[in-house]
Amino acid sequence: MRGLHSRSILTSKRDTPTRLTTLDRFGCVRSPSASIVFTMSDNPTSPISSPPTPRTANPAAKVVVRFRATGNAPILKQNFYKITASQKFQTVMNFLRKELNYKAQDPLFLYVNSAFAPAPDEIVGNLYKCFGTEGNLIINYSTTAAWG
Amino acid sequence: MQRIDTAVTHGIWDGQLPVRISIDPTDAKTLASGAILHSHYTFMHRCSYLPLVTESVREVFVKSGVAFTGHDADIWYEYRGVPLKWHYPIGLLHDLLTSQYRGSSPLPWHIIIHFTNFPTDKLIRINAANIIDTPHDSFMSMIKEADYIRNGSIKKLMSLSKQDQTNLWQGLSSHDYDKFWNVNARLVTNDNTIPKYIPLRVYLLDQPVIQEPVAPVDDNLDCEYTLRDILGRMLPEIFPPSLDAPTTEGADNTRKSDASEAVAILHGIVIPIETPILWLSQNCSYPDNFLHIVICR
Repeated sequence: MRGLHSRSILTSKRDTPTRLTTLDRFGCVRSPSASIVFTMSDNPTSPISSPPTPRTANPAAKVVVRFRATGNAPILKQNFYKITASQKFQTVMNFLRKELNYKAQDPLFLYVNSAFAPAPDEIVGNLYKCFGTEGNLIINYSTTAAWG
Repeated sequence: MQRIDTAVTHGIWDGQLPVRISIDPTDAKTLASGAILHSHYTFMHRCSYLPLVTESVREVFVKSGVAFTGHDADIWYEYRGVPLKWHYPIGLLHDLLTSQYRGSSPLPWHIIIHFTNFPTDKLIRINAANIIDTPHDSFMSMIKEADYIRNGSIKKLMSLSKQDQTNLWQGLSSHDYDKFWNVNARLVTNDNTIPKYIPLRVYLLDQPVIQEPVAPVDDNLDCEYTLRDILGRMLPEIFPPSLDAPTTEGADNTRKSDASEAVAILHGIVIPIETPILWLSQNCSYPDNFLHIVICR
């Protein structure tokens, strides 16, 4: 199973966020493996004083996605994964289906922060910047419509 | 107290786009061999969505000889080779895909209707069991996302009665201003509290959508940010941030000519760049509560 994932753009997240320490000039954190995880300040800064967003995004920029099962949805053996920030939310949906061994017709609902279901074409990096908490993008998943 | 400028909200709500719809030539050959098919001319509300007009458009083509017996969920539209995302408001689709015309594109907008070969790799599939369920869910998800951006939770939306929530979509799909705005006014004014962030997306043709936290006022609540402040931060290379007030007339002129190179389009209108972002959000958001701003260079 792991072998399959190493070929996908999603990579298994073996480092916990606390081990990712080196800040770069964009307020991103460099992990020992040199991949980048966006961090969001607990104290939101004003738009003017914020550091510029890295528009020429590093193709290696990653977001830590934390999956949380809701209701009777099966839990994952591992719930932290890193995903490339420029990927679409569809990639997260496809990955979770594969991880749960769910077929296309099996119902599966994904939500951000137990609040709303992003469209499949929303960009993971945007979701992280707007809705990330404590270094993670929290994705709740359910086999029935939970917050829809 | 924040108040809605109803002259503005009525104007946006009633905004329509003249559209010419032609059938895809391959579909015409297979589904209407022999029939002479004319383009269909119609008006579409800019704030509406394509699935809400598909039934009436399909009827026109079927009456003119298109032997389509499939489901409306199979119907899709295209502009110059680009499949049209049905979950974007029609006005946004037009403004984005004609952005090279800087707000004065030739009208009517000429789009192509397809009855076969739904591009599942480019468009979200609509649930065929109920053609309206998918657009409804997608619309309500956007409203929730907007509420979360403003308040850090969706408590405000969830505190609305079931009927009020239903009225948002029903008001939109039946083009009933009062039904929609009686509820929407409470959301966009955020019950007269300043929202944490503004629901806003910025679009450039052929580039990923930009969405990031945008505060409407500075930390001390004594300065309202303008569209220029926001775009200057998001796209500093296109909208150089305002520097200190220019001391000479010459410097002022120079900056104006730089700024004129790029414009921000919303509802087909070039938005004055000094407009306060909070006012813009309350009065000029699409019904999904987002400001969908297209940048034309």
